[in-house]
Amino acid sequence: MANIHFRTALDYTKRSPFQALAAIFVLALTFFVGTLLAVLVYSSGKALSHFETRPQIIAFLNDDVTAEEISSFQNTLNKDSRVKEVAYVSKEEALEIYKKATADNPLLSELVSPSIFPASLEFSLTDLNYAEDVIDEVKKVSIVDQVGFTASLGGESTLGDVVTRLRTITWYVRIGGAVFVGLLVGTSLLVLLVIISMRITTRRGEMEILSLIGATKKFIRSPIILEALIYAFTGVFIGWIFALILVLYATPNIVSYFGEIPVLPRDTVQLFILMGIILATEIVVGASLALFGSSLAISRVRRRK
Amino acid sequence: MISLKGVTKTFGSIKAIEDATFSVDKGEFVFLTGPSGAGKTTILKLILRDYLPDKGKIFFEGKNIVRLPEKFIPSLRQQIGVVFQDFKVLSERTVRENVEVALAVKGTPPSEWKNRVRDVLELVGLIERATLFPSQLSGGELQRVSLARALVVNPKVILADEPTGNLDWDTADELMDLFEKISKEGKTVIMATHHRGIVDKLNKREIKVEKGKIVGGGESPKRKAKAKEKPPVKKVEKEKTEVKVKVEETEEKKE
Repeated sequence: MANIHFRTALDYTKRSPFQALAAIFVLALTFFVGTLLAVLVYSSGKALSHFETRPQIIAFLNDDVTAEEISSFQNTLNKDSRVKEVAYVSKEEALEIYKKATADNPLLSELVSPSIFPASLEFSLTDLNYAEDVIDEVKKVSIVDQVGFTASLGGESTLGDVVTRLRTITWYVRIGGAVFVGLLVGTSLLVLLVIISMRITTRRGEMEILSLIGATKKFIRSPIILEALIYAFTGVFIGWIFALILVLYATPNIVSYFGEIPVLPRDTVQLFILMGIILATEIVVGASLALFGSSLAISRVRRRK
Repeated sequence: MISLKGVTKTFGSIKAIEDATFSVDKGEFVFLTGPSGAGKTTILKLILRDYLPDKGKIFFEGKNIVRLPEKFIPSLRQQIGVVFQDFKVLSERTVRENVEVALAVKGTPPSEWKNRVRDVLELVGLIERATLFPSQLSGGELQRVSLARALVVNPKVILADEPTGNLDWDTADELMDLFEKISKEGKTVIMATHHRGIVDKLNKREIKVEKGKIVGGGESPKRKAKAKEKPPVKKVEKEKTEVKVKVEETEEKKE
């Protein structure tokens, strides 16, 4: 039975190709922009998360500190709800980090030995607002020599500024994107509504014949709703495919430009999972759009006897 | 099978049907005759529940369809095959698809479609035209498509609204032979026509409609006979006391 409805819906689509193309193009544009905005929202969220979770405080330890003392201090930090991701960096590891940082100038690393680098405990905060209190408390711990903010490389206020700025950008991306996609979805709905209404008007004779031979409302409406679903799904797939091609094309450049900031998944499988989630969401949105648009069109042009 | 009792239908100030009462028995072939605008099509549309009467009752197999909830109208129509004067075939579907649509509407399993469509197209003589579109058919062939679509669902009743109105005499004659054949198979046929030659040729009961009123032939033969044999109400005179005796009470009577 569904086959006859699907065949009818396909026939409707084929018989008015320009109406069908108009609907599909608008929907494809909506879902193309929607996919890109979804990726942008994901990227900005990831960038924000990266800056928020990177080690923010480094507690440099005294040279004579014992392993037990370090372990005890690490446990204390782990239990602190304001603190997360505590990591111990030994003198050797510190030297390695230094060597990497000065890779451009090997002379600088040759002149130093691990002994001049203090071991440290690095950790981040659940909220940057706790920074001042936590730094003050850590400074008082006997095994701690000095306390540095990661941002010490660029000044205490820098990281906070970056995070605040990123939060603002992310908020704008999310709100701006939602408004923009909302407008596009609204336009798509209107186009779908107009096209389906036109279809119903031109098919009124056929619908009356079907009604006279005993067709139920569901039977008469099914091809119309299916037609809207065909437009929506085609639009979703075209929009998504083009966005996917663009994302795949741009990913190497984006990844290398942002360096260690994971704005896009570096693993291909992860990237496809992300795109798959976006596609699934868009299919749901597309189906809702088609069902709502066609139902609205049917209710608007329903004949009153 | 079908009866109208005191049915009135108006369109604005125009009385299309006025106090129409008639009945049609199961398996009967009746003509609704009268000039154009007499109300024949309105009567058929009332039976099909395409129109609701302003007054009166319409019974289909003993049930008053005027009170039928809207959601049950499709199932009523699925029991009635309709043939229209203007064919009302789906112009963008082939002959076969036009017939298949009726089966799909009735919910017949697709596995049965092939045989049933073939049988009905053979009956109406269109088996070789199955893959053609309506624009490639003559008027008579289109009317046969309409008839095939009505018949394929094996309806209890066939309503035909001026089925020969757009056909020449020879084609109309062939179509009427087909209708007679169908009637002999036990189908109830109500045909609206103003084609005198057809009515005379078939010699069936004629319900005459004029200016929206039934002016003759409204009572079915069975009902007439029944009325003669068993009057619904007998008056028994006994010592000046009038006693009413109920002889029979059908669902229609209850209504």
